[in-house]
Amino acid sequence: MISETIVYLIMAVIGVLSTIAVYMAIQERDLVKAVIYSAVQSSFYALLYYFLMAPDIVLVYLPVAVGLIPGVLLILISKTERWEKE
Amino acid sequence: MKLVELVLLVTLILSIALLLTFAYMYLTPTSEIRNLAVFYLVTTYNPQLPFYTVNSPEAVTAIVWDYRGLDTLFETAVFYLALIAALALARKLYVEATPEFNKGNEGLSVIVKTVTKITSPMIIAVGASIGLHGHLTPGGGFQGGATIAVAPMIIIIIFSVLYLLTKRVTTEKMLLLRSLGLIGIGLTAISAFIIGLIAGRTTYVFQNMPKFDAPLGLPDKLNGVLISGTLWFFNLFEMLAVASGFTMAFIVLMLVKKEG
Repeated sequence: MISETIVYLIMAVIGVLSTIAVYMAIQERDLVKAVIYSAVQSSFYALLYYFLMAPDIVLVYLPVAVGLIPGVLLILISKTERWEKE
Repeated sequence: MKLVELVLLVTLILSIALLLTFAYMYLTPTSEIRNLAVFYLVTTYNPQLPFYTVNSPEAVTAIVWDYRGLDTLFETAVFYLALIAALALARKLYVEATPEFNKGNEGLSVIVKTVTKITSPMIIAVGASIGLHGHLTPGGGFQGGATIAVAPMIIIIIFSVLYLLTKRVTTEKMLLLRSLGLIGIGLTAISAFIIGLIAGRTTYVFQNMPKFDAPLGLPDKLNGVLISGTLWFFNLFEMLAVASGFTMAFIVLMLVKKEG
């Protein structure tokens, strides 16, 4: 019972940290940094999936959300402007 | 802007409070397993039930490619159509490497390039392992293919897309690989049916292991190695299709020039 509580507490902390990463990604004016914050949030989500005992989802979530989507977004940013305007 | 920040902070604090107080009380899973889950867990690898089992110790892959194989086939079709749409937007399918490209000038610094040279074969190896062991350990075709596709992605960003093209990773070859993967998935889906046609017995499309009214199925072991019938082939071809499809999309996306 104690170990279960600890796992749920870790999951709660990871969820809060991912929310903070989302906040940073929204607030950031530098789009490259915002993409990195988004990748950080995705890694927290992958950890959450792992604690929820879904290793298959972790394996599909990590390459797509940390590898491919930031890559595509970086390509798109390189084609437009790096700084967000008011 | 102030209002948005305030709402976000309040949501944050409330979510902490909610998680710490209520999540543990209400979200604890019970020890009872539902009947459907019991059915899948009992039949997924059970040689004592030869007409129900999939002979794959990985229940998720067994469900994805056997119990609900048709759904996954249509998911693959959706992915295929999405890639066709992306390529149609780019309208630049056949690209050759420009001869005047001299490597070493483009891309990031030498350190990053060396690290990429070391890590990208590792990424491909891990992806192949995830894909080809999909019927034994967590993973599968899509996971492995998506992992493999990260390697050309970082090569495109760190070197340049022309570097990839000079290494003969062209869209034509990727198209060939992807078509090979999709044809393989189709053939694997009807393989048991074709075997039945040749042998003159009753078999079904998308059949994997032998069933009550169709005792002819695919073997679960090949030369003593567990391949779980169609699952290994589905994973292999799905991995090929996903990896080459993503790679092709990245090359084409990177080559689109700004017009005007």
